[in-house]
Amino acid sequence: MPVEESIKRLRDAIISCDKELALEATREIIDKGIDPIEAFEKGLVEGARVVGDKFDRLEIFLTELIEVADVMKACTDLLMSQIPKGRVPKKGTVVIGTVKGDIHEIGKNIVASLLSANGFDVHDLGADVPAEKFIEEADKVGADIIAVSALMTSTIGGQKDVIDYLKATGKRKKFYVMVGGGPTTREWAEQIGADGYAETAMEAVKVALDLIQKRRSS
Amino acid sequence: MVNLLDVVDRALTGKACFEKEYDLNIFSSKLREVVKEYDIKYDPDTPVPSDDSLADDVFKAALDFYREVGTYCTDTGRIIKFDEDEIKEGLKTAPSELTFGEGVDAKTLIPRKPESKTPPWCFLGAGGAPVSSEEIFLKLVEGYASIPLANSITTPALTSVRGMRIRPGTPLEILGTIRNVVLAREALRRAGRPGLPIMNALATATRAVSLITALHPDYGLRRTDGYLIGIIAELKTNFDLLNKVCALQSLGYGGICAESGPIYGGYCGGPEGTAVATVASHLMGVLVYRAGWYLSFPIHINYGSNSTPELLWVTSVSAQAISRNTHLLSLHLNYTAAGPCTEMCLYEIAAQRLAAIPSGVSGIESLGTGKATHEDYLTPMEPRFAAEVAHAVVGMKREDANEIVKAILPKYIDNIAAPPVGLKYQECYDVKTGEPSKRCLEVYSKVKRELEDLGLEFKC
Repeated sequence: MPVEESIKRLRDAIISCDKELALEATREIIDKGIDPIEAFEKGLVEGARVVGDKFDRLEIFLTELIEVADVMKACTDLLMSQIPKGRVPKKGTVVIGTVKGDIHEIGKNIVASLLSANGFDVHDLGADVPAEKFIEEADKVGADIIAVSALMTSTIGGQKDVIDYLKATGKRKKFYVMVGGGPTTREWAEQIGADGYAETAMEAVKVALDLIQKRRSS
Repeated sequence: MVNLLDVVDRALTGKACFEKEYDLNIFSSKLREVVKEYDIKYDPDTPVPSDDSLADDVFKAALDFYREVGTYCTDTGRIIKFDEDEIKEGLKTAPSELTFGEGVDAKTLIPRKPESKTPPWCFLGAGGAPVSSEEIFLKLVEGYASIPLANSITTPALTSVRGMRIRPGTPLEILGTIRNVVLAREALRRAGRPGLPIMNALATATRAVSLITALHPDYGLRRTDGYLIGIIAELKTNFDLLNKVCALQSLGYGGICAESGPIYGGYCGGPEGTAVATVASHLMGVLVYRAGWYLSFPIHINYGSNSTPELLWVTSVSAQAISRNTHLLSLHLNYTAAGPCTEMCLYEIAAQRLAAIPSGVSGIESLGTGKATHEDYLTPMEPRFAAEVAHAVVGMKREDANEIVKAILPKYIDNIAAPPVGLKYQECYDVKTGEPSKRCLEVYSKVKRELEDLGLEFKC
């Protein structure tokens, strides 16, 4: 089977969320000595893009999306085990969570799954996360982006608290901050000085990719 | 009968399970199973179905589903479960009527059936949307109370106290909650309807401590008001929410409401799963919160509104399932994608009320305009319009409502992803007199005339 066909098989397995087939295709790619980075970009990431678009149109739902993210992770781990550490491609590292006082997680889970499926290293802190915890974790894992979710008009201020805490600790320039969630608007994001805002989960992936690009080019 | 202590005991000793496992392997998995087993199917051409057997199947599926999956307690990582007898007994003993308000504004909330000629309860106002100042808060609530069809009020949420932004779980939240009550009562007095019940007590109180503090009689909340206790999506609770229930029950407040917003596209999956989960949320309210009434707002995961054809179907089918099979007092809350003073917003409201009222909801909460996200993007005109539509469609056959909804949908559906944001209260109303602008009245009259052409008979 030619290289393109093997990679297409992996991509199609991701799109159809077939874990067994995806792992089998990944093993085949490794056995054939196909470049793991090419397989990652053209197979896994491309498959995840199609899955994200399907979720945007609600042709698939959150459960399927999370399953795809899990399959992606398993296949990525297999592929990356073939690459020397220094050459492992990484889209970027994101620390994500819902603000202090807010117990809603579903929107944040969607963004985390899509980021993960698109090759980001995602550290999910869950819900009701204090401002300092976001920063402590971002420092610990060497994050590029802190993604802060809020679902209530009464808790949205927690997003500003994260940015204020970064400023107060002299770390504002160290991380990009993205905000999102039900009550969040572009105007609000601009008002509090966030670096990125997205209304939908797929848009969040694009914003994160743009921020990483910006970081690399600067 | 299961009581709060039983619930707490099960939260502490029930089956241990990680949250992700509950979401994926229990909730989503079982939901897909019952949807398949009962052969529940969404029909995009019929946003308001008239099929009684479909409604009854959704109800049976929800009973089976909730008995299997129970409620997840996020504080203990355990599942609170109930057996079939407990669920049936809970449904049998749930209140079939509740009186809210005082004096001339006291009124009894009663159940309705599909196509019922009984007028619906109109719970009108802001749906907890944010406002920038106490002055606008007062003007808005006074405006809501001046709507003749209002049976109760849903207040906006203050976002700051003396210029300081409210943070949850802090003294600012407690102070904000107290101000919310005090200002709302004052506004009702100014409107000449001091006995009107506040039924969203309280949007500012995310934590139990804030609600409990605001219950002090000095601030003006009453036993005849309504108290919303949230269900965390999907079918989850925690001890802070149960603390609210405990305080209200212990102090003899009967107006506890279980409020839920199942998410279409989330763990519920498609419209079929969302409809079953909406009914199951009512069962959770009966058993976990011992609620007297119920408020549901199934919501679109991407658009934050419930006016798409899928959500209209979910609203209609779940309302029919509940009203045909129980005497629960169930209200529907609508969120529009478009903001105030736009034709799109009024079309969305009309479609939502046509889906809910002929399907047998006990009443409506109207509403969150423009997804209730932008500060001050709310006026009394939209809830007034919602109540007038709700009364105009009383007694309407479901199949007639379906045809009218299908005629309204093309007027807004193409703009659902990028809706007009509309105008702020200050741009639509004279802040001094509380009177709507000419433009606001023109939009209202134009859409009302169009609905009359489609067959609605407005009573006011």
